[in-house]
Amino acid sequence: MTLDTIALILLGGVVLGALYALMATGLALVWTTLGIFNFAHGTFIALGAYIAWQIASTDAFGAGFVVGSLVSVIGMFLIGTAVYYLLIKPFERSPDIVVKSVITTLAGATILENLINIAWGPRNKQLGAVLTGDIQIIGLVISRNEAAAVAVSLLILAALGIFLQRAPLGRAMRAVAQNREAAQLMGIDVVRLYAVAFGLSAALAAIAGILIGSIRFMNPLMGSDPLMKALIVVIFGGIARFTGPIYAAFIVGLLEAFMTYAVGLYWSPTVLFVIMIVVLVAKPEGLFGKHRKSV
Amino acid sequence: MRYSPSFNRSSGLVPALVSVVALAVLPFLAGSNYLNHLLVLTFIFAIVAASWDLSLGFGGLFNFAHVALFAVGIYAYGVVARTLGLSPWLGLLAAGGSAGLIAALITLPIMRLSGIYIILVTIAASQVLYQIVISQSQITGGTSGMVSLPGLELFGYRMSRDGKIGYYYLALTLLIGSTVLLYKITRSRWGRAIVAMRDNKYYAVSRGMSETRIRLYTLTVSAAISGVAGGLYGSYMRVASPDNFGLGLLGLLLSMLLLGGAGTIWGPILAAFFVTMVSEALADYGAWRNIIMSLLLIVILVFYPGGLWALVQTAREGFDVFRTQALARFRRRTGKTAREALTGASERMVETRHGRIAVADSGGAKPALLLIHGNSSAKEAFSAQFKAFSDRYRVISFDLPGHGVSDNADPDRDYSVEAFADVAEDVLKALAVSHPSVFGWSLGGYIAIELAARGNPINALAISGTPPLRLVPEDVGKAYDATSHFVLASKRFLSAAEARDFATSTTGAKDPRTAHLHAAVSRTDGRARAYALGKLQIVDWPRQMRFLRTASVPFAILNGAQDPFLNHQYFRDLKLTQWTDEPADIADAGHAPFLLAADAFNAKLAAFFDSIQNKRSDGEPAPRTISA
Repeated sequence: MTLDTIALILLGGVVLGALYALMATGLALVWTTLGIFNFAHGTFIALGAYIAWQIASTDAFGAGFVVGSLVSVIGMFLIGTAVYYLLIKPFERSPDIVVKSVITTLAGATILENLINIAWGPRNKQLGAVLTGDIQIIGLVISRNEAAAVAVSLLILAALGIFLQRAPLGRAMRAVAQNREAAQLMGIDVVRLYAVAFGLSAALAAIAGILIGSIRFMNPLMGSDPLMKALIVVIFGGIARFTGPIYAAFIVGLLEAFMTYAVGLYWSPTVLFVIMIVVLVAKPEGLFGKHRKSV
Repeated sequence: MRYSPSFNRSSGLVPALVSVVALAVLPFLAGSNYLNHLLVLTFIFAIVAASWDLSLGFGGLFNFAHVALFAVGIYAYGVVARTLGLSPWLGLLAAGGSAGLIAALITLPIMRLSGIYIILVTIAASQVLYQIVISQSQITGGTSGMVSLPGLELFGYRMSRDGKIGYYYLALTLLIGSTVLLYKITRSRWGRAIVAMRDNKYYAVSRGMSETRIRLYTLTVSAAISGVAGGLYGSYMRVASPDNFGLGLLGLLLSMLLLGGAGTIWGPILAAFFVTMVSEALADYGAWRNIIMSLLLIVILVFYPGGLWALVQTAREGFDVFRTQALARFRRRTGKTAREALTGASERMVETRHGRIAVADSGGAKPALLLIHGNSSAKEAFSAQFKAFSDRYRVISFDLPGHGVSDNADPDRDYSVEAFADVAEDVLKALAVSHPSVFGWSLGGYIAIELAARGNPINALAISGTPPLRLVPEDVGKAYDATSHFVLASKRFLSAAEARDFATSTTGAKDPRTAHLHAAVSRTDGRARAYALGKLQIVDWPRQMRFLRTASVPFAILNGAQDPFLNHQYFRDLKLTQWTDEPADIADAGHAPFLLAADAFNAKLAAFFDSIQNKRSDGEPAPRTISA
C-alpha cells in the first residue's frame, strides 16, 4: 500500500463520512426527539434530490442549482412536517408506537418511492457537477465538487449545532428529547416541536440527496443504501450527543473506504453490520454516548 | 385466573372447521390454475405472518429478521435440493432447521436489548444475511439468485401438476399444521411464559422464568416455522431471489401482521387473505398498486388500530346483540303462556329508567316479596317460590335489562349493579309496592343490598350465593373460590359448550327443571355480563357493608352448602348480624338452592319471614330504615 493509495482512501473516506454525517444527523434528530426510527429517511434523500433536479436541471425547469436546492430544502421541510402529522402523530398515545411507526414510515417510503417512479421514471439522472476542476489540499488532489460537498456538509452541521445549542427553538428541541413531560410543563408545544424536528430531518435529507446527486447518479432507490449506512452510523455514535453521529460518520466512512480496499466491495457491508451488532451488544448507547435514551 | 377451554369447546371451533372445509373443497368448485396459485401464496404468507406473531405479538420481541429467515429457508432449500442434489423434502426440513439455527444465533446479541434496539439489531442481522448471500455467488448465484430449483414430488407425482393442486393441499396442510402448533404453543406453559415476559418482565423473572431461554425458544420456533414456509416457497416458485431479504417483503408481511391484529394468530392469517386478494385486484395498476396498498394500510392503522381481528370481534358483538334482542322479542310474544304457567303470575312490561322490563307479578293485596335473579338468568328461576309464597305474598320478579324477555339496553348506562338497582326501584314504583321483602340471588343479591342500602324501605332482606364485599377487587379473591367457570360470568361471548357449562355450574345439569334457565344463558346480552361484572368496582361497597353492619333490616344469608363458587369460611368470618348467627346454609344444594332444593329453601325462607313476624308481634320496634 503506497502513500498515494492511503491518501486516496482517506479522501474517499472523508467524502463518504461527510455525506453519512448529514444523513445520520437527520435520522438521529428524529430518533432523539420522537424516539422512533424513520424508515422513510432514505426516500426523503431521493425525493430531495429529484425536486432539486426538477427545478435546477436544464432538462426540466432550468432555474439553476441554487434555486433548485433552496426549493428542495424548503419543500422537503414541509413534506417532512406533513409526514409527521399524517404518519406518526396518530399513534402518539399508542403504547406500540415504535412498531407502528416502523410500518407507517415503511408504507410512507413505499408511497413516495412509487410516486418518484411515476413522476420521474426509474432511469438514472444526474444533477451535474456544480464546480469543475480539481484542487490540491496539502498535496492531495480532490475534485472541487467533492471538496465543496464536504465543506457544505460541515457548514450545515455546524449551523445545526449552533441552532441546537443557542436558538430557543433548538434548545426546546433538546429539552423535549431529554424529558418530554418536563418540557411540556415548561410550556413547550411538543407536537409542533416534533413536526419541526421531522421537517428539519427531512431538509437535512434533501441536502444529502442534492450532494449525492451532484457527485454521483440519482435513481428512485438511491436512498435505501444510505439509509442502512446512516442506521449504522447512528448506532455507532449513539444519540446522547449531537456530535456523536458526526464523529461516527467519519469513522464509518473511513472504515468503509479502507475495507472496500482490504476485503472487497461485497464483504465491507457485512463487516460494518457485524461491527454494528457488536457495538449494540457491548455498548447500546453508542461509542460516544454516556447514557442511553430509553424507548 | 386461568381459564382455557380446549379448542373444541371454544366458539372458534365452528368457524375454523367451516373455513378449513371451504378451503379444502374450493379447488373442486372453483379451482383454476390462477386461483390456486394465489391461494398457495396466501397460505405461505399466512404461515410466515402468523409465526411472526408468536415473537412480535405474543412475545413483544420486534424481530425484524423474521422475513430474512424466511429467505434463509428459501436458500437452504435451494442449496439442499439443487446444489447438493438431495431430496427436496429434506430441503424443507433443512429450511426450517437452518432458519431456526440462525434465529438462535441472532438471539445471542439481542439477549440484553429491548424495544427499538432489537429492531435495529435484527435489521442489521438481515442485512448481514443478505450481504453474505450475495457475496457467495458461486453457491447462491449472487444478486441474480438461484433459478430452476427442483420442485416437490410425492411418489413420482409432481406437485405442480393439475393446476398446482399438490402444492395447494401441501400449503394448506402446512398452514393448518403451523396454526395448530402456534395455538398449542400460546396455550402451553411456554406460551404463558412468553406473554408474561412481555407484560411484566421483572415479575415473570421473579417467578422463576428465564428471559434468555424464553427469547431463544420464541425466536427459534417462530423462525423455524417461517423457514419451512420459505422452503415451500422456494420449491413452489423454483427461484431463490435475494430480493426476499429486502424491505419490500418485510413491509408486506408486517402489514399482514398489523392489519390482522398482533397477538391473535388468527388475525394475521385473515389479513394474509385480505392483503393478497386486494393486492391482486390492483395488479393492473402498476406502481399505483403499491401506493394504494400503503395508503390503505396507513388508513386502517390510523382509524382502525385493532385491525381486521378487532373488526371481526365488533361484527360478532353486533351480531350477538342483534341475535339476543331478536330472541327476546320472539320469546316475549310466543312464550308468554309457558312462562306464566311456570310462575303462575301474570307478565307485563314496565317502562323504567333503563329500558322496558318484563315483570312477573302474582298480584293481590298482600305483603310484597321481590325476587331478583342473577347473572345470565331470568325471573322464571323463581318458579318454585312463586308457587310456594303467592298464597301469603304478592310475589314479584323481573328480568334484568339484557336478560330474559326484557330489552337489551345501552351497555354503558344500563348494565351495572347500580342501574339494576334503579330498575328494581322503578319496578316497585310502577307496581305501587312499598316495604317489600327482598330476596336476591348471586348478582341479584348485590342488587338487593344496593336497593336496601340506598334507603328504600324494605321489610326484610335475604341473599343467596352473594358474599357481601368490603373492597373490590381485593375481596373477590377471598369471597369466591376461583374456578374456571367463574371467568365465564364476565365473558362476553359464550360458545355453546361454555353456555352449557355456565348454566350447569350456576343452576344445575340440564333437566326439565333447569332447561329454561339454560336457554336464558344463551339469550343474555353478552355485554350485560361483561359490563355489569366489569363495573363491580364502582359500586359503593363500603355503603353496602355499613348498611349490613347497622342491621337496621332483618337480614339472612341462605347459601347452598355445596355452592361451588363460594368460600363459605368468608361468610363465617364476616360475622354479619343475621337471622341466625351462622349463614343458614341449605344442605346438599349448589349455587341455586331455591331451584334444586326448593322445598328446603322455601322452608328456610318462610322461617326467616316468620321470625320477623314473631319479633314484631313480640312488641319489638319495627326496623327503622336508614338513609344513605
